[in-house]
Amino acid sequence: MIWVGDVLVSRGDGGVYGERLIDGARVWDPYRSKLAALYQAGTGIDLLPGMRVLYLGAAHGTTVSHVADYVDVVYAVEFAPRPVQDLLEVARRRRNVIPIMADATRPETYAPIVEPVDLVCQDVAQPDQAAIAIKNMVFLRPGGDLILMLKTRSVDVRKEPEEVFSETVGLLAAAGFSVQESVWLTPYHLDHAAIVCKKERPVMNHE
Amino acid sequence: MQSYWFGDLDGGRCTPFEGSPAAAAARIRSLVTSMEKYDPPDWQQAVACGVCRDRAEYLSNLQKVCIAGAEEAIREQYAQKDVELLQMTRTLDEMDTVINLLSERVADWYMIRHPSFSRKYRRTPAHVMVKNASLRDRDGALGLVAQEIARLGEARTALAQEVSRRACDVMPNTSALIGGLVAARLLSHAGGLRQLARLPASAIQVLGARTALFAHLQAHAPPPKHGILFQHRRVHNAPRPLRGRVARVLAGKVAIAARLDFYRGRAVPEFLDDAQARIDSVGTGDTEP
Repeated sequence: MIWVGDVLVSRGDGGVYGERLIDGARVWDPYRSKLAALYQAGTGIDLLPGMRVLYLGAAHGTTVSHVADYVDVVYAVEFAPRPVQDLLEVARRRRNVIPIMADATRPETYAPIVEPVDLVCQDVAQPDQAAIAIKNMVFLRPGGDLILMLKTRSVDVRKEPEEVFSETVGLLAAAGFSVQESVWLTPYHLDHAAIVCKKERPVMNHE
Repeated sequence: MQSYWFGDLDGGRCTPFEGSPAAAAARIRSLVTSMEKYDPPDWQQAVACGVCRDRAEYLSNLQKVCIAGAEEAIREQYAQKDVELLQMTRTLDEMDTVINLLSERVADWYMIRHPSFSRKYRRTPAHVMVKNASLRDRDGALGLVAQEIARLGEARTALAQEVSRRACDVMPNTSALIGGLVAARLLSHAGGLRQLARLPASAIQVLGARTALFAHLQAHAPPPKHGILFQHRRVHNAPRPLRGRVARVLAGKVAIAARLDFYRGRAVPEFLDDAQARIDSVGTGDTEP
């Protein structure tokens, strides 16, 4: 990750959403982007130039544009037509953003498009966030990582965030992820946690 | 056989798809992929297949296909009849709010300009005061603002007619039952025709009464009897003790009408006659269970 002092930045064409520039690098604001908040509050996964990323819940393409500055390609999945209009504009100006208008709960609809990826980022406001991550595991190469931005209030507003969090971690672990790191994103985002986990390599690969 | 965006792969043989990005996007939507034992696409296969020379070209072709696909999907969603009506209705309601706020402000301003004027006894409504202001202070800032409000009001009237007309087209049964404007407002609160058609009648009855509903659920306030449906004359003209009952019956019929609108999309006269008779009978004692 690139830091200027203690400010997280990415290097690429600016002006995507009026972000500030420092030394020609785009400031990646942790208050706007949960992924940036993870890098501020925890460690996260280093974004490397050769990486392929599947981003679920790409929304307006703000965070996606920063990720795209670091990596080889981002497959950006978003369902709602209004944000996709903005995401398309980002894609037209960035060669390595592949915009996919599809429902992340139905990976079969974009399966013919997405290559095996090194990292899955998920930031969806849905009640079944762990299930969505598990369904999309098929695109993640063994040993690849998942960053799940857990919106606890989307899972169940009545439950305590901590309770939702431990349930989600349990589901992920049962599905073959090993949790590496989990961080609450306060003070940047309330009731949001980031869970970083690794897809375990299969022990038995033969039939 | 495995189908990918760039073509079909069968064993070692590859059949590339040839056609425009839009055609490729349409093909992807028609593909049915089984997720068991699924192999994601590999760019090297695409190169071997002859659809591109290198990874850069693979990604740029794929991006073209995906952009074309997303543009088409957006167009389709926006072409659904209720999508624009939703925005029109919300604009209309917000214009009402803005016009009312500005009118009251201008009325206050007008009273400063005319110290001997009072609204008492004359019950001068704000819109009349706006008109006075635009006539009497024609060249000042007050007059200009007042004229602007009047123009906003004209735009609002035109928009309301358009909303009503469009609602009769999008939701013929609901509009026939409660009028285009009220139907459109229900639609805008539900978030779309599909969403409205899936609401239970009890929810439709209190749609738009959120504050009262939560006050009831949390603080033991009396439950709301009606939300947007209050705007229907049957409800607000009914004697107070009957209003809740009228609203409940009306909501039941609106729920059915919304489902007819969504699933059939045309007016159903038999239903409308029955529903109207049932609503009219509330309080007469004829059909009360």
